[in-house]
Amino acid sequence: MSTAVRLDATSLDRFLRVLADAREVFAPVAATDGRVEFARVRGGEGVDSSRMLTGLSPKGLFFPEAEVLFRYDRGGILPVESPGGPIAVWGMRGCDARGLALLDRVFGSAFQKPGDERFEDPYWKSRYDRATIFGTVCPAPLSTCFCNWFGGSPSSTAGIDVQATDLGEAWLLSPVTAKGAELLMTVDDLLSPATARDVEASREIALRAQSALPPPPSLEGLEDLLTGVFHEPAWEGIAAPCVQCGACTFSCPTCHCFDIQDEDRNGRGRRIRAWDSCMFGIFTREASGHNPRALSTQRVRQRVMHKYSYFPGNYGEMLCTGCGRCVSVCPVGFDIRNVLLELVSGAEGEGR
Amino acid sequence: MSNAYLPLPMRVARIAAEDPARSLRTFDLVFEDPADRDAFRYLPGQFCEMSVLGRGESPFGIASSPTEEGFLRFTVNRTGSVTAEIHDLREGDRVGLRGPLGNWYPVDLFRGGDVVIIGGGFAFTTLRSLLVYLLAHREDYRTITVVYGARNPGLLLYKEELEAWAGLGDPGLRLHLTIDRPADGWVGTTGFVPGVTKGLAPSPDGAHAVVCGPPVMIKFTLPVLAGLGFPDDRIFTSLERRMKCGIGKCGRCNIGPRYVCIDGPVFSMAELRENPEPV
Repeated sequence: MSTAVRLDATSLDRFLRVLADAREVFAPVAATDGRVEFARVRGGEGVDSSRMLTGLSPKGLFFPEAEVLFRYDRGGILPVESPGGPIAVWGMRGCDARGLALLDRVFGSAFQKPGDERFEDPYWKSRYDRATIFGTVCPAPLSTCFCNWFGGSPSSTAGIDVQATDLGEAWLLSPVTAKGAELLMTVDDLLSPATARDVEASREIALRAQSALPPPPSLEGLEDLLTGVFHEPAWEGIAAPCVQCGACTFSCPTCHCFDIQDEDRNGRGRRIRAWDSCMFGIFTREASGHNPRALSTQRVRQRVMHKYSYFPGNYGEMLCTGCGRCVSVCPVGFDIRNVLLELVSGAEGEGR
Repeated sequence: MSNAYLPLPMRVARIAAEDPARSLRTFDLVFEDPADRDAFRYLPGQFCEMSVLGRGESPFGIASSPTEEGFLRFTVNRTGSVTAEIHDLREGDRVGLRGPLGNWYPVDLFRGGDVVIIGGGFAFTTLRSLLVYLLAHREDYRTITVVYGARNPGLLLYKEELEAWAGLGDPGLRLHLTIDRPADGWVGTTGFVPGVTKGLAPSPDGAHAVVCGPPVMIKFTLPVLAGLGFPDDRIFTSLERRMKCGIGKCGRCNIGPRYVCIDGPVFSMAELRENPEPV
């Protein structure tokens, strides 16, 4: 891999414009109401690289809130549009990039049937495989951040092609993957070699951020421990405040439940898939009226079990990157960290 | 890259009403594209997502057997909006189909032994597939015992075939139909499936059992099989869940860590007992 390079802060606009000449570029953009969300950009205008987290995770860039699977008319299904050109994303936090890498386990590859291409998701793959992702080292974690609980860090590079550190007057860009290094070569004239001081400054930023995070609790054996407490009455108290709004799942970088619906007008229409939520009572309700998860308690437990027990059992990793969005958006103050700690301490108290 | 979300174009070749109330209809579908037909390889127990464009899609077990070539059979209970739309189809209409999805009854594991098929109500669809498959490979299997029950005679699926199977003169095929309580013109057994199974007492030696039906039937049949000496890993059932994608991604059909759409729908009772989430 080539070594780190330096991009003057004043050149970011030009850098993004050059990237945008040949590809779709997405970056955190500030809206007039103060919210920052990932949006398509053609240069540096409006880009806000300093915000710790966007309101929604960037999963929607690759797994849109609603997308057309195909269109049809009276003659049948119309050909599905072929994928477009390359994509670059600027300003992604490590937790979110890891979230995409986790989603790629679900959508990008065969599940338990290796080599069975039928189980790849062509819609996800056609976008994610085309993307080059620029990560941004977090300078100062929020009180809701807990990436270090699950192997993450403010300078995590999982799922990142080029790691960027904001040094104030410049960006230090460190290629992580060959794909990232190749992209940097195409904008060579805007970059200069990084100095030893730049590299040292970036290391300090990462260390400072790391030390600002409280040390993680011991969650060893969490996967099995949760299986052991599946039938505990504690879940009722945990779920009691939940109002089933689904904000946690929509803002989450790894939640990926979806629905498939048809929209029809006079025999022409489209089949769309749209984000859904395991928090909704109708999610599992069958036409007969039978509902395997009719109770709020069952649904809250499902969300926790899926992230911290079922998914690690199937894929070897937690389905949580500790971004903390579910904690900050919850209208009733449901804090997944406290839930895990409560379940862990409850299980230990009972000598499990 | 192939696209598992795109339905194959199919045409409705035949429709049959199964019950007097016409809430159960059987649809034979044929492939529009011979290449799709040749590529479609399945085994009893697998399912498909059938769609009517503009109305959506729902999962249905395949009721035909791969040994019956040229068509796929589905029996649809009119319950919700998609099934209502399917019931309004006419012969010659087009539908979409995604599949085959999910796993299958382990017919290779059953080979060389007895098979006990226990079904209730309109859950007999994939059991029909299994029975037709076993009969087409008759020399590979020993005694086949079928216990099939319904509330009343009208609700038994595939009545003509049930008669034909009974008339095969196959001494190794024990076919027992039962209805819940006596009805005019019914000369067969009356009584619930668990009791009938207990009375027949099929031998567990080298045997496997497949049980599909209403939850209450399964609940009371399992202890009967256990009492006869069938271990959990030789009793299989097929689960139903609301399945949208059918390929292990949309997140709604899981029971514990297992997805009914790709890890099932067929599970052994041993697998289900290990599962943290009760079924």
